[in-house]
Amino acid sequence: MMSKEVIVRVFDIVGGPLCVSAEDGQRVHDKIVPLLREGTKVVLSFEQVETLISAFLNAAIGQFYGEFPEERIRELLTVRDMDEDDMAILKRVVDNAKKYFSNPKAFDEALREEMGHDEE
Amino acid sequence: MIHYLQTIHSDQEGYERLAELATATDKLGASRLELDCSRVRFFDANMAAPLGAVLARVADRFNAVEIVSMPDVVERVLRKNSFLTQFRYQPMEDDYKTTIPFRRFQKADEGAFEDYLQRHLKGKGIPSMTEGMGKVFKQKLFEVFQNAVIHSESELGIFVCGQFFPQKQKLDLTIADAGIGIRDAVRRYFQDKKIASVPAIRWALEEGHTTKKGKQPGGLGLKFLHDFARLNKGRIHIVSRFGFYEFREGTESFAKMTGDYPGTVVTLEVNTSDTSAYRLASEVAAEDIF
Repeated sequence: MMSKEVIVRVFDIVGGPLCVSAEDGQRVHDKIVPLLREGTKVVLSFEQVETLISAFLNAAIGQFYGEFPEERIRELLTVRDMDEDDMAILKRVVDNAKKYFSNPKAFDEALREEMGHDEE
Repeated sequence: MIHYLQTIHSDQEGYERLAELATATDKLGASRLELDCSRVRFFDANMAAPLGAVLARVADRFNAVEIVSMPDVVERVLRKNSFLTQFRYQPMEDDYKTTIPFRRFQKADEGAFEDYLQRHLKGKGIPSMTEGMGKVFKQKLFEVFQNAVIHSESELGIFVCGQFFPQKQKLDLTIADAGIGIRDAVRRYFQDKKIASVPAIRWALEEGHTTKKGKQPGGLGLKFLHDFARLNKGRIHIVSRFGFYEFREGTESFAKMTGDYPGTVVTLEVNTSDTSAYRLASEVAAEDIF
């Protein structure tokens, strides 16, 4: 049986063409999570979105990688109506999120490179 | 108290002087600051943003702030960009339309920031930029704005000011906050109170590095800013507490300041004659994203 598919319009959730805050990204995320949990296919439409930034995408999409297996996201989530530049940003956000959640502890440790301790 | 401000250029020395002002007024409470500008020979207009942030901290401690003895040539610049109107000076018409005015935004004011950019970047060299570049430029400014929202931990808001230089085909835009600075966010993240400002900035500039803890990944905003400046042959300054960072002509440099600038400032200078196409990456297919 085909699972049903829902089109989620980012413009409608955010209430305008600006996707420039983590807070708005969180609202998009919170709207989609229950759908993904029940196995609904989600088509995220960026129609009418004019400006979007990484902080928005980290909240809206990046954090899924801490909540669902990669294969499950690939199976259920698609995007559309996004221009190529924005897709390139989303790809970087997704790759960064995969790295971040693959082993958060190791990621943290890798970040802890040598820090200077000059007197201030 | 009276503080004598000196000439302020958009460079490390300029920030040192603003840090001096911040330190000198640090203990002032429920009193009065007279900022005497008689020694100011020049003031780079975009530096009104970090000056505004410093003075907002002073005013927040119930001090009255007064700006006096400003030389005409400097006063004209700061009246044209509306910085001085908050100190009861009359506004002045900007005949050459090169000003990008001083504005203070609250953290939830992204819509107002969008209106500001739409209104004031038009006619400032943007037409000569490709459409792609104008869009990418705006995106980077929002990345910086959102960084201030997420990380500054300041309720005083976000201070923005710029200047367009038509002859040089350059546009400077500065975004400042009066927050805890990158150093303190990184110190908290690593639970290490001795981390200094310069290594903290160096760390924060690396891709994937973020002090956000918990469910949201991050650490791409400054990286994207850097990528953009490299392509555009533009310039970046980041000042945060004792740290000064500059990216120009493809080269990065870091310096430790002698004074403590209380907050974080990012200046992006764009080369408005740039006609690059701004493809950030080779084509990405929608089905390959996840």
